[in-house]
Amino acid sequence: MRRRRASLKTGRQRAARGSFVAAGFLASILAGMALYFLPAIQVALRDTGQANTSLGGNLQLKPVSATEHLSSTAPFTLLLLGSDSDSKFKGHYLTQSMILTRVNPATRHVTMLSIPRDLWVRLCTGRYGKIDQAFLHGGAQCSIQTVGKDLKVHIDYYAWIGLQGLVSVLNNLGGVNVTANNPVMDDYYPADLSGGSPFDYERILVLPGAQHMSGSLALEYVRARHDDAYGDFARSQRQQQILIALRAKTKNLSLADIPSLATSLGSDFQTNMSIGQVSGLLPIAGSVPLASITQVVLLPPYTSTLNIDGQSALQPNWPLIRSEVAKYFPAAA
Amino acid sequence: MRRGLILIALMLASGLAANRTLAFMQTRSGTASLVDTTSPQVRLPGTIFVSQEGAIFAITGSKVRRLPLPAGGDWTQPRVLPDGSLLAVRRFAQYSDLYHVSAAGRVISQMTSDDQSTANKNLQLDHWILWPAVSADGATVFFATDAPKAAPTKSYEVDFSLWSASLGAAMSIGDSGVSGATRWSFPDLYTGGDIQPVPLPNGSVLYSSYTNNGKGSVLSVLGLQTGPSSPMVSLTSLHQDCGSPAVAADGVTVAMVCTNSGQTASLEIATLQGRTLSAPRVLVANCLCNSPSWSSSGDGLLYMNASNPDGNFGLWYIANAGGVHPGATRRVTDASVDLDATSAAAWLDR
Repeated sequence: MRRRRASLKTGRQRAARGSFVAAGFLASILAGMALYFLPAIQVALRDTGQANTSLGGNLQLKPVSATEHLSSTAPFTLLLLGSDSDSKFKGHYLTQSMILTRVNPATRHVTMLSIPRDLWVRLCTGRYGKIDQAFLHGGAQCSIQTVGKDLKVHIDYYAWIGLQGLVSVLNNLGGVNVTANNPVMDDYYPADLSGGSPFDYERILVLPGAQHMSGSLALEYVRARHDDAYGDFARSQRQQQILIALRAKTKNLSLADIPSLATSLGSDFQTNMSIGQVSGLLPIAGSVPLASITQVVLLPPYTSTLNIDGQSALQPNWPLIRSEVAKYFPAAA
Repeated sequence: MRRGLILIALMLASGLAANRTLAFMQTRSGTASLVDTTSPQVRLPGTIFVSQEGAIFAITGSKVRRLPLPAGGDWTQPRVLPDGSLLAVRRFAQYSDLYHVSAAGRVISQMTSDDQSTANKNLQLDHWILWPAVSADGATVFFATDAPKAAPTKSYEVDFSLWSASLGAAMSIGDSGVSGATRWSFPDLYTGGDIQPVPLPNGSVLYSSYTNNGKGSVLSVLGLQTGPSSPMVSLTSLHQDCGSPAVAADGVTVAMVCTNSGQTASLEIATLQGRTLSAPRVLVANCLCNSPSWSSSGDGLLYMNASNPDGNFGLWYIANAGGVHPGATRRVTDASVDLDATSAAAWLDR
């Protein structure tokens, strides 16, 4: 009897010890994985809607969840914003790039509409100015509010990226393959990422034709505008080209790539999407066929040149623009 | 006690292993130097010169060697002269220069000196010189340069125009043009201009000319000029958006890359008939094709292409490309090699 009790006690001790050892291994493996994903977790908490689904201010974005949009087949509208985020702006950024994007996961159709940065609009502040100033006055929420009200469109999400973030992400992905339309030259290209004075210039030249572009070459391609017959419009077209080229990259990404991407973005990325939604967007982007991408650039007659308050701007032809926008984007409620 | 320590060590090792396994699962897209791969995968006669990461490589038979050119800058766009020597561009961050080098990689002469910054701090006074080409007799060199600039320190305008000079002539590129050279073309401003000259046996020059279509796009046509400053004849339409011309040894078979105003390109072939071009036929459709070049004596065609939208740019070959029944497309370089797709291969097959 005593022997049986001792045997039972030993069995329980062994089982407990076994459980302890198994738990130790499991904890160690989970800790190793958690450390690997730490940069992504930090970005998720700091820069995405994981911690902040409500943007505050005058505009209350409808909080959205992954199940509501990205894991379902419901279409959604995303405002992509890009800024010169170098030191000369000291954190007060304009948005040199604004691309309103409609994604329909069910039909695998994407529409990209570039909004010219010089468009003269009523800003979220109530005053008139170039649309690129909206971000300066009130960050992404002001940009969303301004675009939403002026173009009469509902926006679900935004994603903002700075120059260095774009270069780092493209480099992290190994660059992109792009067919450059024409020789893109600029003798007054800002030398703000070269490490010297952010007010210096440099000469750049992107050769025409199909080629592999590193992050910095791709940035030159989408940013140069001085020696261009269509200036900002042409660069908007080139920005859309790079986005389309990026789509090929997303096909090969895995979960294991997320931490290095998050690290490369640093503080040069903000969004109100959760990290789950961002990662859910990648396979959708990768599955969209080239023929299912509609590109819109608001050239004349949608816009015309305007000199106002001592600056050159673009006068919107609202009836034409809103009619075009309504073809692809749902109206604001 | 000892067993406990071993267990803890094993636990830590399993955590590290999990971490490193995830790191290993990251997508990698590395590229390899041409000399370190199984290239060439197709053995072609003669010697082929290509550019990769700022160096020029020579592929002869099954062997690849890197030309021992001086360090500094990126060496690109080699062209073979009839005597087997090469013209090559040495590109720096703000300017480029044209060099005459031997097939072994020894500099014979530096033909231009476009870095003005030592004498003048305005880097807008620097110049690009690119796309060298040579006449059939090897006596005349053609190129594109961004000179002249109307007002380099006051204007944003900078576009390529075409020039020619005798091989060995003393040339100097400045604000007003190229002294010692003859100007051929006058570009459509703010488009990038005229590039990629191809001298024809009859003295004419074929090239890519970028034009503003007035509807929001800059597109390319194949232009033909019979002499310096003569009017350009457009051989293709703006809608076809064709460029990167290469002419076979017969002087009339033209390879070109056209986008047909779409997102992808196609490699096409047409025949030059005086001042017109026959209807093109597509050799490779929906590709990332660029920089076609012909064998110096036959109708073998080389071109750059990435086999998929995310792939490396390699050298590809089509036998009998000008014939009625062209051969299949074959990749010459290993898939791990990423070549400079904007630099056409130079092929001396004799």
